[in-house]
Amino acid sequence: MNDPTLLQYFEFEFVQRALISALVVGLCAPAVGVFLVQKRLALIGDGLGHIALTGVAIGFLTGTAPLWTTLAVTVAASIVMELLRSHSKTSGDVALAMMFYGGIAGGVYLTGIASDKGVANLQQYLFGSLLTASWNEVWTIVAGGAVVAALMLVLRPWLTAICADEQYARVSGLPVASLNLLLLITTAVTVSVSMRAVGLLLVSALLVIPVVTVQQFTRSFKATMFSAMGAGFLIAGAGVIASAAKDVPPGSTIVLLGVAAFVATAAVAAVVGRVRRTRRGHLPPEGEPLEVELPASSA
Amino acid sequence: MPVLNVHGATVSYGGRAVVRGVDLAVAPGEAVALMGANGSGKSTLIKAVAGLVPLASGAIELFDTPQKRFRQWRRIGYVPQRTGAASGVPSTAAEVVSQGRLAHRLLGMPARRADRTAVTRSLAEVGLQHHAHCAVDTLSGGQQQRVLIARALATDPELLIMDEPTVGVDAETQAALAAVVAARVDAGCAVLLVTHELGPLTDRLDRAVVLADGRVVHDGEPPRPVGEHADPDHQHAHPHPSPDPHPGPDGAAPRITFGTNKGGHGADEFWSGK
Repeated sequence: MNDPTLLQYFEFEFVQRALISALVVGLCAPAVGVFLVQKRLALIGDGLGHIALTGVAIGFLTGTAPLWTTLAVTVAASIVMELLRSHSKTSGDVALAMMFYGGIAGGVYLTGIASDKGVANLQQYLFGSLLTASWNEVWTIVAGGAVVAALMLVLRPWLTAICADEQYARVSGLPVASLNLLLLITTAVTVSVSMRAVGLLLVSALLVIPVVTVQQFTRSFKATMFSAMGAGFLIAGAGVIASAAKDVPPGSTIVLLGVAAFVATAAVAAVVGRVRRTRRGHLPPEGEPLEVELPASSA
Repeated sequence: MPVLNVHGATVSYGGRAVVRGVDLAVAPGEAVALMGANGSGKSTLIKAVAGLVPLASGAIELFDTPQKRFRQWRRIGYVPQRTGAASGVPSTAAEVVSQGRLAHRLLGMPARRADRTAVTRSLAEVGLQHHAHCAVDTLSGGQQQRVLIARALATDPELLIMDEPTVGVDAETQAALAAVVAARVDAGCAVLLVTHELGPLTDRLDRAVVLADGRVVHDGEPPRPVGEHADPDHQHAHPHPSPDPHPGPDGAAPRITFGTNKGGHGADEFWSGK
Protein backbone atom coordinates (compact mmCIF):
# COMPACT_ATOMS: atom_id res chain seq x y z
CA MET A 1 0.00 0.00 0.00
CA ASN A 2 2.95 2.27 0.37
CA ASP A 3 4.43 1.15 -2.95
CA PRO A 4 7.07 3.68 -4.00
CA THR A 5 6.29 5.50 -7.23
CA LEU A 6 8.55 5.09 -10.24
CA LEU A 7 10.56 8.22 -9.51
CA GLN A 8 11.28 7.15 -5.95
CA TYR A 9 13.07 4.06 -7.26
CA PHE A 10 15.82 6.22 -8.62
CA GLU A 11 16.66 7.38 -5.13
CA PHE A 12 17.90 3.89 -4.31
CA GLU A 13 21.56 3.62 -5.13
CA PHE A 14 21.22 -0.04 -6.18
CA VAL A 15 18.63 0.95 -8.78
CA GLN A 16 20.92 3.68 -10.10
CA ARG A 17 23.78 1.20 -10.40
CA ALA A 18 21.55 -1.35 -12.12
CA LEU A 19 20.20 1.24 -14.51
CA ILE A 20 23.62 2.60 -15.49
CA SER A 21 25.07 -0.84 -16.20
CA ALA A 22 22.01 -2.04 -18.09
CA LEU A 23 21.92 1.10 -20.23
CA VAL A 24 25.61 0.75 -21.11
CA VAL A 25 25.19 -2.92 -22.03
CA GLY A 26 22.02 -2.15 -23.97
CA LEU A 27 23.86 0.51 -25.96
CA CYS A 28 27.05 -1.43 -26.67
CA ALA A 29 25.92 -5.03 -27.17
CA PRO A 30 23.98 -4.33 -30.41
CA ALA A 31 27.02 -2.45 -31.80
CA VAL A 32 28.83 -5.80 -31.76
CA GLY A 33 25.74 -7.86 -32.52
CA VAL A 34 25.04 -6.11 -35.82
CA PHE A 35 28.26 -7.57 -37.25
CA LEU A 36 27.48 -11.02 -35.85
CA VAL A 37 24.04 -10.95 -37.49
CA GLN A 38 25.65 -9.80 -40.75
CA LYS A 39 28.12 -12.70 -40.52
CA ARG A 40 25.22 -15.08 -39.73
CA LEU A 41 26.86 -15.95 -36.42
CA ALA A 42 24.00 -14.72 -34.25
CA LEU A 43 24.38 -17.59 -31.78
CA ILE A 44 28.07 -17.03 -31.11
CA GLY A 45 27.18 -14.82 -28.13
CA ASP A 46 25.28 -17.72 -26.64
CA GLY A 47 28.20 -20.05 -27.29
CA LEU A 48 30.60 -17.71 -25.54
CA GLY A 49 28.03 -17.33 -22.74
CA HIS A 50 28.20 -21.09 -22.15
CA ILE A 51 31.99 -20.99 -22.20
CA ALA A 52 31.86 -18.10 -19.73
CA LEU A 53 30.27 -20.49 -17.21
CA THR A 54 33.56 -22.35 -17.07
CA GLY A 55 35.26 -19.00 -16.50
CA VAL A 56 32.93 -18.16 -13.61
CA ALA A 57 33.58 -21.57 -12.06
CA ILE A 58 37.33 -21.05 -12.34
CA GLY A 59 36.81 -17.76 -10.52
CA PHE A 60 34.99 -19.56 -7.70
CA LEU A 61 37.70 -22.19 -7.54
CA THR A 62 40.63 -19.81 -7.41
CA GLY A 63 38.93 -17.10 -5.39
CA THR A 64 39.61 -14.41 -8.02
CA ALA A 65 36.88 -12.09 -9.28
CA PRO A 66 34.82 -14.10 -11.81
CA LEU A 67 34.80 -11.15 -14.23
CA TRP A 68 38.51 -11.51 -14.97
CA THR A 69 38.58 -15.32 -15.17
CA THR A 70 35.54 -15.18 -17.45
CA LEU A 71 37.21 -12.63 -19.66
CA ALA A 72 40.35 -14.78 -19.95
CA VAL A 73 38.42 -17.97 -20.70
CA THR A 74 36.06 -16.44 -23.28
CA VAL A 75 38.86 -14.61 -25.09
CA ALA A 76 40.89 -17.84 -25.21
CA ALA A 77 37.83 -19.74 -26.46
CA SER A 78 37.16 -17.21 -29.20
CA ILE A 79 40.76 -17.46 -30.43
CA VAL A 80 40.52 -21.27 -30.51
CA MET A 81 37.17 -21.04 -32.29
CA GLU A 82 38.54 -18.69 -34.97
CA LEU A 83 41.60 -20.88 -35.52
CA LEU A 84 39.38 -23.96 -35.83
CA ARG A 85 37.11 -22.17 -38.28
CA SER A 86 39.87 -20.83 -40.51
CA HIS A 87 42.48 -23.60 -40.37
CA SER A 88 40.52 -26.84 -40.17
CA LYS A 89 37.48 -28.38 -41.76
CA THR A 90 35.41 -27.68 -38.64
CA SER A 91 32.42 -25.61 -39.70
CA GLY A 92 31.18 -22.66 -37.68
CA ASP A 93 28.18 -24.47 -36.25
CA VAL A 94 30.17 -27.55 -35.22
CA ALA A 95 32.63 -25.31 -33.35
CA LEU A 96 29.63 -23.57 -31.80
CA ALA A 97 28.11 -26.89 -30.68
CA MET A 98 31.41 -27.84 -29.02
CA MET A 99 31.37 -24.52 -27.15
CA PHE A 100 27.85 -25.11 -25.87
CA TYR A 101 28.58 -28.61 -24.55
CA GLY A 102 32.10 -28.00 -23.31
CA GLY A 103 31.27 -24.69 -21.65
CA ILE A 104 28.30 -26.00 -19.64
CA ALA A 105 30.10 -29.23 -18.69
CA GLY A 106 33.23 -27.35 -17.61
CA GLY A 107 31.19 -24.91 -15.54
CA VAL A 108 29.19 -27.61 -13.75
CA TYR A 109 32.26 -29.81 -13.21
CA LEU A 110 34.37 -27.03 -11.72
CA THR A 111 31.55 -25.67 -9.53
CA GLY A 112 31.12 -29.24 -8.35
CA ILE A 113 34.73 -29.19 -7.13
CA ALA A 114 34.21 -25.78 -5.51
CA SER A 115 30.87 -26.89 -4.08
CA ASP A 116 31.26 -25.02 -0.80
CA LYS A 117 30.80 -21.75 -2.74
CA GLY A 118 27.19 -22.76 -3.41
CA VAL A 119 25.02 -23.17 -6.46
CA ALA A 120 22.99 -20.04 -5.73
CA ASN A 121 26.17 -18.16 -6.47
CA LEU A 122 26.37 -19.62 -9.99
CA GLN A 123 22.74 -18.74 -10.57
CA GLN A 124 23.46 -15.02 -10.28
CA TYR A 125 25.83 -15.29 -13.25
CA LEU A 126 23.50 -17.50 -15.24
CA PHE A 127 20.57 -15.12 -15.06
CA GLY A 128 22.13 -11.84 -14.00
CA SER A 129 21.92 -9.98 -10.71
CA LEU A 130 22.21 -6.34 -11.60
CA LEU A 131 20.68 -5.23 -8.33
CA THR A 132 23.58 -6.53 -6.25
CA ALA A 133 26.34 -4.99 -8.37
CA SER A 134 28.87 -2.72 -6.65
CA TRP A 135 30.01 0.65 -7.96
CA ASN A 136 33.33 -0.94 -8.95
CA GLU A 137 31.56 -3.43 -11.16
CA VAL A 138 29.48 -0.65 -12.68
CA TRP A 139 32.60 1.31 -13.67
CA THR A 140 34.14 -1.83 -15.20
CA ILE A 141 31.02 -2.24 -17.32
CA VAL A 142 31.13 1.43 -18.37
CA ALA A 143 34.82 1.28 -19.30
CA GLY A 144 34.47 -2.03 -21.17
CA GLY A 145 31.39 -0.79 -22.99
CA ALA A 146 33.09 2.42 -24.06
CA VAL A 147 36.07 0.54 -25.53
CA VAL A 148 33.83 -1.94 -27.35
CA ALA A 149 31.53 0.72 -28.81
CA ALA A 150 34.42 2.96 -29.88
CA LEU A 151 36.17 0.07 -31.68
CA MET A 152 33.02 -1.02 -33.47
CA LEU A 153 32.11 2.50 -34.57
CA VAL A 154 35.58 3.35 -35.88
CA LEU A 155 36.08 0.04 -37.69
CA ARG A 156 32.52 -0.21 -39.02
CA PRO A 157 33.33 -0.14 -42.78
CA TRP A 158 36.09 -2.75 -42.46
CA LEU A 159 34.10 -5.07 -40.21
CA THR A 160 31.08 -4.76 -42.51
CA ALA A 161 33.24 -5.76 -45.46
CA ILE A 162 34.62 -8.91 -43.81
CA CYS A 163 31.21 -9.89 -42.45
CA ALA A 164 29.29 -9.33 -45.69
CA ASP A 165 31.71 -10.90 -48.17
CA GLU A 166 34.84 -12.41 -46.68
CA GLN A 167 36.25 -13.56 -50.03
CA TYR A 168 35.98 -10.11 -51.53
CA ALA A 169 37.57 -8.58 -48.42
CA ARG A 170 40.47 -11.01 -48.78
CA VAL A 171 41.01 -10.07 -52.43
CA SER A 172 40.96 -6.37 -51.52
CA GLY A 173 43.89 -7.09 -49.24
CA LEU A 174 42.12 -6.32 -45.93
CA PRO A 175 43.58 -7.95 -42.79
CA VAL A 176 40.68 -10.42 -42.69
CA ALA A 177 42.12 -12.82 -40.10
CA SER A 178 42.96 -10.06 -37.61
CA LEU A 179 39.59 -8.36 -38.06
CA ASN A 180 37.76 -11.67 -37.56
CA LEU A 181 39.73 -12.27 -34.41
CA LEU A 182 39.10 -8.73 -33.19
CA LEU A 183 35.36 -9.18 -33.68
CA LEU A 184 35.33 -12.45 -31.74
CA ILE A 185 37.44 -11.04 -28.91
CA THR A 186 35.16 -8.01 -28.71
CA THR A 187 32.20 -10.38 -28.47
CA ALA A 188 33.96 -12.22 -25.66
CA VAL A 189 34.57 -8.96 -23.80
CA THR A 190 30.94 -7.92 -24.28
CA VAL A 191 29.68 -11.26 -22.95
CA SER A 192 31.96 -11.21 -19.90
CA VAL A 193 31.25 -7.61 -19.05
CA SER A 194 27.50 -7.83 -19.51
CA MET A 195 26.98 -11.09 -17.62
CA ARG A 196 26.15 -8.99 -14.55
CA ALA A 197 23.40 -7.19 -16.41
CA VAL A 198 21.51 -9.89 -18.27
CA GLY A 199 23.17 -13.13 -17.22
CA LEU A 200 25.25 -15.50 -19.30
CA LEU A 201 22.36 -17.50 -20.70
CA LEU A 202 20.55 -14.40 -21.92
CA VAL A 203 23.44 -12.23 -23.06
CA SER A 204 23.08 -13.33 -26.67
CA ALA A 205 19.63 -11.76 -26.67
CA LEU A 206 20.94 -8.22 -26.21
CA LEU A 207 23.47 -8.78 -28.99
CA VAL A 208 20.84 -9.93 -31.46
CA ILE A 209 17.31 -8.79 -30.59
CA PRO A 210 17.79 -5.01 -31.03
CA VAL A 211 19.45 -5.62 -34.42
CA VAL A 212 16.80 -7.93 -35.84
CA THR A 213 14.08 -5.67 -34.45
CA VAL A 214 15.24 -2.49 -36.17
CA GLN A 215 16.50 -4.07 -39.40
CA GLN A 216 12.92 -4.70 -40.42
CA PHE A 217 12.66 -0.98 -41.06
CA THR A 218 16.16 0.11 -42.07
CA ARG A 219 17.75 0.19 -45.51
CA SER A 220 21.40 0.88 -44.68
CA PHE A 221 23.92 -0.82 -42.43
CA LYS A 222 24.79 2.46 -40.75
CA ALA A 223 21.17 3.20 -39.85
CA THR A 224 20.73 -0.39 -38.62
CA MET A 225 23.73 -0.09 -36.35
CA PHE A 226 22.76 3.22 -34.76
CA SER A 227 19.08 2.47 -34.34
CA ALA A 228 19.90 -0.98 -32.90
CA MET A 229 22.07 0.74 -30.30
CA GLY A 230 19.17 3.08 -29.53
CA ALA A 231 16.70 0.20 -29.33
CA GLY A 232 19.01 -1.77 -27.04
CA PHE A 233 19.36 1.27 -24.80
CA LEU A 234 15.57 1.67 -24.52
CA ILE A 235 14.87 -2.03 -24.02
CA ALA A 236 17.53 -2.38 -21.31
CA GLY A 237 16.37 0.77 -19.49
CA ALA A 238 12.71 -0.21 -19.60
CA GLY A 239 13.62 -3.72 -18.46
CA VAL A 240 15.48 -2.53 -15.36
CA ILE A 241 12.68 -0.18 -14.33
CA ALA A 242 10.06 -2.89 -14.84
CA SER A 243 12.08 -5.46 -12.93
CA ALA A 244 12.70 -3.11 -10.02
CA ALA A 245 9.00 -2.34 -9.81
CA LYS A 246 8.03 -6.01 -9.85
CA ASP A 247 11.09 -7.28 -7.94
CA VAL A 248 11.97 -9.92 -10.57
CA PRO A 249 15.39 -10.70 -12.13
CA PRO A 250 16.30 -7.86 -14.55
CA GLY A 251 17.89 -10.16 -17.14
CA SER A 252 14.72 -12.03 -17.91
CA THR A 253 12.64 -8.83 -17.88
CA ILE A 254 14.97 -7.15 -20.40
CA VAL A 255 14.94 -10.15 -22.71
CA LEU A 256 11.17 -10.60 -22.50
CA LEU A 257 10.71 -6.94 -23.36
CA GLY A 258 13.07 -7.38 -26.30
CA VAL A 259 11.20 -10.41 -27.62
CA ALA A 260 7.91 -8.54 -27.24
CA ALA A 261 9.38 -5.57 -29.13
CA PHE A 262 10.53 -7.88 -31.92
CA VAL A 263 7.16 -9.60 -32.27
CA ALA A 264 5.30 -6.29 -32.23
CA THR A 265 7.59 -4.68 -34.82
CA ALA A 266 7.48 -7.78 -37.02
CA ALA A 267 3.71 -7.38 -37.14
CA VAL A 268 4.02 -3.66 -37.90
CA ALA A 269 6.69 -4.36 -40.53
CA ALA A 270 4.37 -6.76 -42.31
CA VAL A 271 1.75 -4.02 -42.58
CA VAL A 272 4.28 -1.33 -43.54
CA GLY A 273 5.80 -3.69 -46.11
CA ARG A 274 2.43 -4.08 -47.75
CA VAL A 275 2.03 -0.30 -47.99
CA ARG A 276 5.59 0.18 -49.26
CA ARG A 277 5.22 -2.40 -51.98
CA THR A 278 2.69 -0.14 -53.64
CA ARG A 279 4.78 3.03 -53.12
CA ARG A 280 8.40 2.04 -53.53
CA GLY A 281 11.27 4.37 -52.64
CA HIS A 282 13.02 3.53 -55.89
CA LEU A 283 11.98 2.47 -59.36
CA PRO A 284 11.06 -1.19 -59.58
CA PRO A 285 13.60 -3.25 -61.56
CA GLU A 286 12.84 -2.97 -65.23
CA GLY A 287 11.62 -6.26 -66.62
CA GLU A 288 13.67 -8.40 -68.94
CA PRO A 289 12.74 -7.66 -72.56
CA LEU A 290 10.60 -10.37 -74.03
CA GLU A 291 12.77 -12.44 -76.34
CA VAL A 292 9.98 -14.27 -78.05
CA GLU A 293 7.28 -13.08 -80.33
CA LEU A 294 3.87 -13.66 -78.86
CA PRO A 295 1.61 -15.47 -81.30
CA ALA A 296 -1.17 -13.22 -82.56
CA SER A 297 -4.35 -14.06 -80.77
CA SER A 298 -6.37 -16.45 -82.87
CA ALA A 299 -9.67 -14.80 -82.15
CA MET B 1 55.84 -6.83 -68.26
CA PRO B 2 52.50 -8.58 -67.86
CA VAL B 3 50.08 -7.57 -65.10
CA LEU B 4 49.44 -11.24 -64.46
CA ASN B 5 51.77 -14.14 -65.07
CA VAL B 6 50.89 -17.72 -64.17
CA HIS B 7 53.52 -20.46 -64.57
CA GLY B 8 52.58 -24.10 -64.37
CA ALA B 9 49.83 -23.52 -61.84
CA THR B 10 48.38 -26.65 -60.30
CA VAL B 11 45.52 -26.55 -57.82
CA SER B 12 44.10 -29.63 -56.15
CA TYR B 13 41.08 -30.13 -53.96
CA GLY B 14 41.61 -33.03 -51.58
CA GLY B 15 44.29 -34.69 -53.75
CA ARG B 16 42.36 -34.30 -57.03
CA ALA B 17 44.07 -31.88 -59.42
CA VAL B 18 41.48 -29.45 -60.78
CA VAL B 19 43.93 -27.14 -62.54
CA ARG B 20 47.01 -28.85 -64.02
CA GLY B 21 50.08 -26.94 -65.02
CA VAL B 22 48.38 -23.90 -66.51
CA ASP B 23 50.42 -21.04 -68.02
CA LEU B 24 48.63 -17.76 -68.49
CA ALA B 25 49.81 -14.21 -69.03
CA VAL B 26 47.77 -11.03 -69.27
CA ALA B 27 49.45 -7.90 -70.64
CA PRO B 28 48.52 -4.39 -69.48
CA GLY B 29 45.31 -3.25 -71.15
CA GLU B 30 44.59 -6.70 -72.55
CA ALA B 31 41.14 -8.27 -72.31
CA VAL B 32 41.30 -12.04 -71.90
CA ALA B 33 38.46 -14.51 -71.44
CA LEU B 34 38.91 -17.77 -69.60
CA MET B 35 36.45 -20.20 -71.09
CA GLY B 36 35.53 -23.83 -70.76
CA ALA B 37 32.77 -26.17 -69.71
CA ASN B 38 31.57 -26.59 -66.14
CA GLY B 39 34.26 -28.34 -64.10
CA SER B 40 37.06 -27.39 -66.48
CA GLY B 41 38.83 -25.52 -63.68
CA LYS B 42 38.34 -21.94 -64.86
CA SER B 43 36.78 -20.66 -61.63
CA THR B 44 39.40 -22.46 -59.55
CA LEU B 45 42.20 -20.93 -61.60
CA ILE B 46 40.76 -17.46 -61.10
CA LYS B 47 40.40 -18.05 -57.36
CA ALA B 48 44.04 -19.07 -57.25
CA VAL B 49 44.97 -15.86 -59.07
CA ALA B 50 42.94 -13.87 -56.52
CA GLY B 51 44.72 -15.71 -53.69
CA LEU B 52 41.59 -17.47 -52.43
CA VAL B 53 42.85 -21.02 -53.00
CA PRO B 54 46.49 -22.10 -52.55
CA LEU B 55 48.61 -23.45 -55.39
CA ALA B 56 49.84 -27.04 -55.13
CA SER B 57 52.71 -26.12 -57.43
CA GLY B 58 53.66 -23.41 -59.89
CA ALA B 59 53.86 -19.68 -59.41
CA ILE B 60 51.66 -16.62 -59.83
CA GLU B 61 53.05 -13.13 -60.31
CA LEU B 62 50.88 -10.03 -60.06
CA PHE B 63 52.42 -6.82 -61.41
CA ASP B 64 55.84 -8.51 -61.43
CA THR B 65 55.60 -9.40 -57.74
CA PRO B 66 55.25 -12.99 -56.50
CA GLN B 67 51.70 -13.37 -55.18
CA LYS B 68 52.87 -14.16 -51.63
CA ARG B 69 54.64 -10.81 -51.40
CA PHE B 70 52.02 -8.86 -53.35
CA ARG B 71 50.42 -6.15 -51.19
CA GLN B 72 48.92 -3.70 -53.70
CA TRP B 73 45.58 -5.46 -53.92
CA ARG B 74 43.92 -2.10 -54.58
CA ARG B 75 45.22 -2.40 -58.15
CA ILE B 76 42.91 -5.39 -58.65
CA GLY B 77 39.14 -5.23 -58.99
CA TYR B 78 37.40 -8.51 -58.25
CA VAL B 79 33.85 -9.56 -59.06
CA PRO B 80 33.16 -12.86 -57.28
CA GLN B 81 30.99 -15.58 -58.71
CA ARG B 82 27.77 -15.42 -56.76
CA THR B 83 24.15 -14.61 -57.00
CA GLY B 84 23.17 -11.46 -55.20
CA ALA B 85 24.87 -8.82 -53.13
CA ALA B 86 22.54 -9.06 -50.13
CA SER B 87 23.62 -10.37 -46.72
CA GLY B 88 22.32 -10.67 -43.16
CA VAL B 89 21.85 -6.97 -42.39
CA PRO B 90 20.40 -4.47 -44.87
CA SER B 91 23.02 -2.43 -46.74
CA THR B 92 22.57 0.23 -49.39
CA ALA B 93 24.12 -0.05 -52.84
CA ALA B 94 26.48 2.82 -51.96
CA GLU B 95 27.62 0.99 -48.82
CA VAL B 96 28.42 -2.17 -50.78
CA VAL B 97 30.27 -0.22 -53.48
CA SER B 98 32.28 1.71 -50.87
CA GLN B 99 33.80 -1.64 -49.77
CA GLY B 100 35.77 -1.30 -52.98
CA ARG B 101 37.53 1.77 -51.54
CA LEU B 102 38.62 0.24 -48.23
CA ALA B 103 41.94 -0.89 -49.69
CA HIS B 104 42.68 2.79 -50.36
CA ARG B 105 41.92 3.85 -46.79
CA LEU B 106 44.03 3.47 -43.67
CA LEU B 107 42.39 1.23 -41.09
CA GLY B 108 40.05 3.34 -38.94
CA MET B 109 40.33 6.52 -41.03
CA PRO B 110 37.21 8.17 -42.44
CA ALA B 111 36.47 8.22 -46.19
CA ARG B 112 38.04 11.08 -48.14
CA ARG B 113 36.53 13.05 -50.98
CA ALA B 114 38.27 10.85 -53.57
CA ASP B 115 36.66 7.76 -52.02
CA ARG B 116 33.19 9.26 -52.16
CA THR B 117 33.60 10.44 -55.77
CA ALA B 118 34.83 7.00 -56.82
CA VAL B 119 31.73 5.39 -55.29
CA THR B 120 29.34 7.85 -56.97
CA ARG B 121 31.15 7.54 -60.29
CA SER B 122 31.15 3.71 -60.30
CA LEU B 123 27.45 3.58 -59.46
CA ALA B 124 26.78 5.98 -62.33
CA GLU B 125 28.90 3.87 -64.69
CA VAL B 126 26.68 0.84 -64.16
CA GLY B 127 23.56 3.03 -64.34
CA LEU B 128 22.56 2.78 -60.69
CA GLN B 129 23.15 6.41 -59.66
CA HIS B 130 19.50 6.72 -58.62
CA HIS B 131 19.66 3.53 -56.56
CA ALA B 132 22.62 4.50 -54.35
CA HIS B 133 20.51 4.64 -51.21
CA CYS B 134 18.34 1.62 -51.93
CA ALA B 135 18.82 -1.54 -49.90
CA VAL B 136 20.54 -4.07 -52.15
CA ASP B 137 18.12 -6.84 -51.21
CA THR B 138 15.30 -4.85 -52.83
CA LEU B 139 17.18 -4.67 -56.15
CA SER B 140 16.73 -7.25 -58.88
CA GLY B 141 19.34 -9.96 -59.46
CA GLY B 142 20.74 -8.09 -62.46
CA GLN B 143 20.96 -4.84 -60.52
CA GLN B 144 22.73 -6.62 -57.61
CA GLN B 145 25.25 -7.96 -60.10
CA ARG B 146 25.79 -4.40 -61.35
CA VAL B 147 26.40 -3.30 -57.75
CA LEU B 148 29.14 -5.93 -57.43
CA ILE B 149 30.73 -4.78 -60.68
CA ALA B 150 30.56 -1.15 -59.51
CA ARG B 151 32.35 -2.22 -56.32
CA ALA B 152 35.19 -3.68 -58.38
CA LEU B 153 35.34 -0.53 -60.54
CA ALA B 154 35.43 1.75 -57.48
CA THR B 155 38.94 0.61 -56.61
CA ASP B 156 40.21 2.05 -59.94
CA PRO B 157 41.70 -1.29 -60.94
CA GLU B 158 44.53 -1.92 -63.36
CA LEU B 159 43.42 -5.54 -63.57
CA LEU B 160 39.75 -6.43 -63.41
CA ILE B 161 39.03 -10.06 -62.53
CA MET B 162 35.45 -11.15 -63.10
CA ASP B 163 34.09 -14.61 -62.40
CA GLU B 164 30.98 -15.14 -64.55
CA PRO B 165 29.68 -11.61 -63.99
CA THR B 166 26.73 -11.94 -66.36
CA VAL B 167 25.09 -15.11 -65.08
CA GLY B 168 21.40 -14.37 -64.69
CA VAL B 169 21.68 -10.93 -66.28
CA ASP B 170 19.35 -10.09 -69.16
CA ALA B 171 20.67 -9.31 -72.65
CA GLU B 172 20.16 -5.56 -72.42
CA THR B 173 22.05 -5.26 -69.12
CA GLN B 174 24.82 -7.48 -70.48
CA ALA B 175 25.27 -5.08 -73.39
CA ALA B 176 25.38 -2.10 -70.99
CA LEU B 177 27.94 -3.85 -68.78
CA ALA B 178 30.01 -4.74 -71.82
CA ALA B 179 30.16 -1.04 -72.70
CA VAL B 180 31.30 -0.19 -69.16
CA VAL B 181 34.04 -2.82 -69.25
CA ALA B 182 35.08 -1.82 -72.79
CA ALA B 183 35.49 1.78 -71.63
CA ARG B 184 37.80 0.61 -68.85
CA VAL B 185 39.77 -1.55 -71.30
CA ASP B 186 40.17 1.44 -73.59
CA ALA B 187 41.45 3.41 -70.62
CA GLY B 188 44.18 0.81 -70.13
CA CYS B 189 42.69 -1.59 -67.60
CA ALA B 190 43.44 -5.27 -68.17
CA VAL B 191 40.54 -7.69 -67.86
CA LEU B 192 40.46 -11.38 -67.01
CA LEU B 193 36.95 -12.68 -67.46
CA VAL B 194 35.59 -16.12 -66.70
CA THR B 195 32.61 -17.00 -68.81
CA HIS B 196 31.11 -20.01 -70.46
CA GLU B 197 28.94 -18.24 -72.93
CA LEU B 198 29.49 -15.83 -75.75
CA GLY B 199 27.78 -12.53 -75.31
CA PRO B 200 28.26 -8.78 -75.53
CA LEU B 201 31.06 -8.98 -72.96
CA THR B 202 33.15 -11.28 -75.14
CA ASP B 203 32.95 -9.02 -78.21
CA ARG B 204 35.70 -6.72 -76.98
CA LEU B 205 38.15 -9.52 -76.17
CA ASP B 206 41.72 -9.61 -77.35
CA ARG B 207 42.27 -13.26 -76.52
CA ALA B 208 40.54 -16.30 -75.18
CA VAL B 209 42.06 -19.10 -73.14
CA VAL B 210 40.04 -22.28 -73.15
CA LEU B 211 40.45 -24.84 -70.38
CA ALA B 212 39.36 -28.44 -70.54
CA ASP B 213 39.91 -30.81 -67.67
CA GLY B 214 42.27 -28.37 -65.97
CA ARG B 215 44.57 -27.83 -68.97
CA VAL B 216 44.83 -25.07 -71.55
CA VAL B 217 43.52 -26.41 -74.87
CA HIS B 218 43.40 -23.12 -76.70
CA ASP B 219 45.14 -19.77 -76.24
CA GLY B 220 44.59 -17.23 -78.96
CA GLU B 221 41.89 -15.60 -80.97
CA PRO B 222 38.54 -15.47 -79.18
CA PRO B 223 35.76 -17.65 -80.51
CA ARG B 224 33.25 -15.86 -82.69
CA PRO B 225 29.68 -16.91 -83.17
CA VAL B 226 29.00 -18.25 -86.67
CA GLY B 227 25.98 -18.60 -88.89
CA GLU B 228 22.84 -16.84 -87.82
CA HIS B 229 24.31 -16.37 -84.34
CA ALA B 230 26.74 -13.86 -85.85
CA ASP B 231 23.81 -11.68 -86.86
CA PRO B 232 23.73 -8.78 -84.37
CA ASP B 233 19.94 -8.90 -84.41
CA HIS B 234 19.85 -12.56 -83.56
CA GLN B 235 18.27 -13.22 -80.22
CA HIS B 236 19.53 -16.36 -78.70
CA ALA B 237 16.19 -17.61 -77.54
CA HIS B 238 14.09 -20.38 -78.87
CA PRO B 239 10.43 -19.47 -78.77
CA HIS B 240 9.32 -23.10 -78.91
CA PRO B 241 10.88 -26.48 -78.11
CA SER B 242 12.93 -27.76 -81.01
CA PRO B 243 11.02 -30.22 -83.19
CA ASP B 244 14.29 -32.05 -83.69
CA PRO B 245 16.17 -32.52 -80.41
CA HIS B 246 19.37 -33.45 -82.25
CA PRO B 247 19.72 -30.86 -84.99
CA GLY B 248 21.98 -31.58 -87.90
CA PRO B 249 25.02 -29.47 -88.74
CA ASP B 250 22.86 -26.81 -90.37
CA GLY B 251 20.43 -26.62 -87.46
CA ALA B 252 20.12 -23.79 -84.96
CA ALA B 253 22.60 -25.24 -82.46
CA PRO B 254 25.48 -22.83 -81.77
CA ARG B 255 28.70 -23.69 -83.55
CA ILE B 256 31.91 -22.14 -82.37
CA THR B 257 35.18 -22.20 -84.22
CA PHE B 258 38.47 -21.34 -82.61
CA GLY B 259 40.41 -19.58 -85.36
CA THR B 260 43.96 -20.74 -84.66
CA ASN B 261 43.14 -24.27 -83.65
CA LYS B 262 45.11 -26.80 -85.63
CA GLY B 263 44.80 -30.53 -86.08
CA GLY B 264 41.05 -30.51 -86.42
CA HIS B 265 40.35 -30.13 -82.69
CA GLY B 266 37.16 -28.24 -83.36
CA ALA B 267 35.02 -26.61 -80.76
CA ASP B 268 32.27 -29.12 -81.28
CA GLU B 269 34.58 -31.88 -80.18
CA PHE B 270 35.75 -29.78 -77.24
CA TRP B 271 32.27 -28.93 -76.01
CA SER B 272 31.19 -32.53 -76.39
CA GLY B 273 34.01 -33.46 -74.05
CA LYS B 274 36.40 -35.21 -76.44
